[in-house]
Amino acid sequence: MWDAIIIQPFTNLLLLITMLVKNFGFAIIIFTILIKLLTYPLTAKQLKSSKEMQDLQSDPQYIKMMDKYKDNKEKAAEYQMKKYQEKGISPLGSCLPTIIQFPIIIGLYQAIMRVMASTPLELVKLERLVYPFLDINKILPIQNRFLWMDLGQPERLNIFGFAVPVLAILVVLTTFIQSKVMQPPATNDGGQAAAMNNSMTMMMPIMMGFMAYQFSAGLALYFLISNLTTIGQYAAMGRADWSALFPWIKKKEVKKPEVVVDLDDDEDDEDDEPEPVKVVKPSARASAKQHRPKMKR
Amino acid sequence: MNKKAIRLLILLIIAGTIMTGCAAGVRAESTPGTTVTDDSVYLAYLTNLYQIDRVTGAKKSDAVEKVSANVVMYAPPLVADGYVYYGDLANKFHKVSADNLRGHSWTFEGAKGWYQGKAAIADDLIIAPSTDRDIYAINKDTGELVWNYAGDFAFISEPIVVGDKIIVSAQDHHVLVLDSKTGEEIYRVEMVGAVLASPLYDPESDSVFVGSLGHDMISFDLETGKVNWTYGEGKELDSIWGTPILNGNELIFVDKSGMIIALDKNTGEDLWQNNAGGEVIAGAVLVEGEGFLVALENGTINFYAADNHAPLRSITVPGNIYSKPIVDGDQIFVPVINGDALLYTYSTTGVPGWTFTVN
Repeated sequence: MWDAIIIQPFTNLLLLITMLVKNFGFAIIIFTILIKLLTYPLTAKQLKSSKEMQDLQSDPQYIKMMDKYKDNKEKAAEYQMKKYQEKGISPLGSCLPTIIQFPIIIGLYQAIMRVMASTPLELVKLERLVYPFLDINKILPIQNRFLWMDLGQPERLNIFGFAVPVLAILVVLTTFIQSKVMQPPATNDGGQAAAMNNSMTMMMPIMMGFMAYQFSAGLALYFLISNLTTIGQYAAMGRADWSALFPWIKKKEVKKPEVVVDLDDDEDDEDDEPEPVKVVKPSARASAKQHRPKMKR
Repeated sequence: MNKKAIRLLILLIIAGTIMTGCAAGVRAESTPGTTVTDDSVYLAYLTNLYQIDRVTGAKKSDAVEKVSANVVMYAPPLVADGYVYYGDLANKFHKVSADNLRGHSWTFEGAKGWYQGKAAIADDLIIAPSTDRDIYAINKDTGELVWNYAGDFAFISEPIVVGDKIIVSAQDHHVLVLDSKTGEEIYRVEMVGAVLASPLYDPESDSVFVGSLGHDMISFDLETGKVNWTYGEGKELDSIWGTPILNGNELIFVDKSGMIIALDKNTGEDLWQNNAGGEVIAGAVLVEGEGFLVALENGTINFYAADNHAPLRSITVPGNIYSKPIVDGDQIFVPVINGDALLYTYSTTGVPGWTFTVN
């Protein structure tokens, strides 16, 4: 079932591209970009949801209410749901696309592995996956030599007598860049999320780099192209935060949420939202300094 | 802690666990590589090479003391002059004592790819095919490289040595004939598809027979490289994964669909056909004094008479057969995967013997 729905179509598409471009390395690049483009609506939806969620979380009114209900989880959840409904946010909106993409990523990985068959047994299995309209005789053998790499083997480039894992290094770099430019802005949770993001920014490149070092070059190439495509997609959507990577680049002026000064001191009015509120627009300087909205009580 | 961050962390851990699990060690799947001698059976599978008592099936020795997931071996070992020569998927080729597999003589580390195919011996040279597209000729005493032939695609089948010639199947649709002293290409014979099976040499006619995945079988003269005949065009023939056998003047081979085809070895004309009843990758094997057997992928082994090709008996091995069984004397050795054991033995009359498995 899994093979028929995911692996077989992916494998045949990859083989078809390989047949057309006559090189497995180029086929992996085209295939990865193609899959990234096909899953773009999911990525865009995920980004949109996550942006909406971030906007809500930095909404001063929302923060104040969540602060107010910090000892009443039920109320907090109720308020949260109400806000989600008001703003049309689906709580699963940011993680559902990831979950949907997960089988695609695994399928992609498995398809590349299947095509890189290197034993007779694996070739038998590959032959069985090929659709009848593709001529296996035109497909085999697969040219898996790409630049200096043998895509079926872990990649190493001999530089002055040292076997340097160039592809693994590039995967580490691009994963780091990807994590940095995609990092969401800090939210008001005492810095825990920021700490988590930072640790993931460090952990992900190491993990991906280790896998690229261990895996055959074909897979490492896929990681690299996937990272570059994702960075490109973010940049094209204007969501890449280059200032996180290059501090000397001036951060794009983002419209900050308005700072709310609550003039209502009525502590007992727990069920109502803070009304009336006086909205004071801060100066640009104050806005730059101010990460957390201050609440005057 | 931020819920989204927790979700991301959990996803990351799951993805990392799955992918690191996949990444650990060599990711290649194959069948146990088996070689039989007078008193032992040598079996290469995953992380070790085993020497097994041929009579009892008990393990006598193994090659690796400290097992590593990064050192995997599938190629059938070559046993000659009291030594075992075997390659692994860590790109290394070793010579060890046949009586004590940990009695190490030398290791050749010149290859950049895996050793999948069995090596051959040509006088004082070990001819080792590698997936790095090279065929290495290694001095069998010193372990030093004598020559290497650089091809265009991975070599995964056992070379055949005839006099001063080496015959090697190549995946890029041809069979190579090399000079065993220098490694120079003497000639190549083109075929329709990738050639994965080892060729068969017939000393009587000085001809070589080999099939390809391109639904063709050919015979060529070893001396000149001239094609004697080709078979396949206009025929209903599937891909050929196994080495053919000779039964007198009959050249017998089985295609993937399970069709047993017998041709006149001199002319390539059809003699007879029979259906084995299932898909066949391993091919046919001669059973001396009786006829031949055909090993089906599903574990069924059918025996046929030499004279009238009539089915004699059938046995079922619990596992899948992808590499050809070895018939030696009155014993049959069947390496399998997806079975309870790695190696099953039978008498040539089909009586089960010992099995070998690894804990």
